[in-house]
Amino acid sequence: MKKINVLKPVLVSNQQRARENRKVFDKMNSLVINIIGSPGAGKTSFIKNIVTNLKTKYKILVIEGDIKGQIDSKTISRLGVDVIQINTVTECHLDAFMTAQALGRIKKKYDLVLVENVGNLVCPAEFEIGEDYKLAILSTPEGDDKPLKYPLLFHLARVIVINKCDLLPYVDFGVGDAIRNIRKENPGATIFEVAAKTGAGFDKVCKHLEKEIHARKKKNTR
Amino acid sequence: MHEFSVTRSLVELCEQEASRNNMKTVRRINLKVGKFTGFSPDSINFYFEHLKADTRCHSACLVFEEIPIKIACRDCHGQHVIEEPTLLCPKCGSDKIELVSGREFFVASIEGE
Ligand SMILES: Nc1nc2c(ncn2[C@@H]2O[C@H](COP(=O)(O)OP(=O)(O)O)[C@@H](O)[C@H]2O)c(=O)[nH]1
Ligand SMILES: [Mg+2]
Ligand SMILES: [Zn+2]
Repeated sequence: MKKINVLKPVLVSNQQRARENRKVFDKMNSLVINIIGSPGAGKTSFIKNIVTNLKTKYKILVIEGDIKGQIDSKTISRLGVDVIQINTVTECHLDAFMTAQALGRIKKKYDLVLVENVGNLVCPAEFEIGEDYKLAILSTPEGDDKPLKYPLLFHLARVIVINKCDLLPYVDFGVGDAIRNIRKENPGATIFEVAAKTGAGFDKVCKHLEKEIHARKKKNTR
Repeated sequence: MHEFSVTRSLVELCEQEASRNNMKTVRRINLKVGKFTGFSPDSINFYFEHLKADTRCHSACLVFEEIPIKIACRDCHGQHVIEEPTLLCPKCGSDKIELVSGREFFVASIEGE
């Protein structure tokens, strides 16, 4: 019997692929956001608000990852922006390979690419797809302890959105507690409080995104 | 769960390494798994039993070694192992900490002939 030292990460191929996707996005000058949250947290509703607010100023692409079906992509394309649907079939997350397939179908340049990952707080966090950063959505009915129960996502996400704030009077959710729990995992996170149903709070989110879109462009025109 | 695709990558990686090193049969795969990952050894084992057929790993077993979550604190300048991934310094309570280990998942070595 012999022993061979390997010392290679198991997900090396996904990480390599994610870096290649990154290069493609860099060429397009796109800000790419990987949106992660539970089923029903409001990922699609969040994207709808962003698209409605920013579509006249920026070219936006939405990539919809879903286990099956096209409901979300139909909803988004009705708003008049380009949508690419990826059906993950058996997988509970998008990975860099599935994203690469979608990239092959892109014909234009976009300022902003919003990726709706599969509804799940665990698996999507592990797989990079070539994004600039991860954005986590936590909705108030889910409870303010979720950041402690799913620490990896809240640790990795650069932006965290607390959605369904219109329901605060009816649910057992302390915004202060939620923010404290998020800060324990991720002291530097940017946190927004919104209600995708009413549009409340999106002025701040959009201002932040606009700043990032411009910063992204500067970075690439070196 | 995502352990299916993870296990597929694992088998592919070991297959490549075995073939590059002329190892016909892999008997043992030594893995290191950080405690701050979502990977469950049980489900990786479950998928491995299916995926290893018809590969050089067909009679291999998986051996997991856990890597603890370790943080470095910028305030008290210590390094500490923590049990739960609540990212606060257990000594001084500071949140100015960096993750030193706990996010890894890699193949340390393979054994066989
Ligand atoms: N009350 C309330 N409902 C919301 C809000 N955002 C989304 N919803 C509802 O929550 C449900 C799931 O939203 P959806 O965007 O499809 O979630 P996704 O599964 O994360 O994409 C839908 O019925 C939405 O209308 C909100 O801010 N307040
Ligand atoms: Mg959706
Ligand atoms: Zn300390």
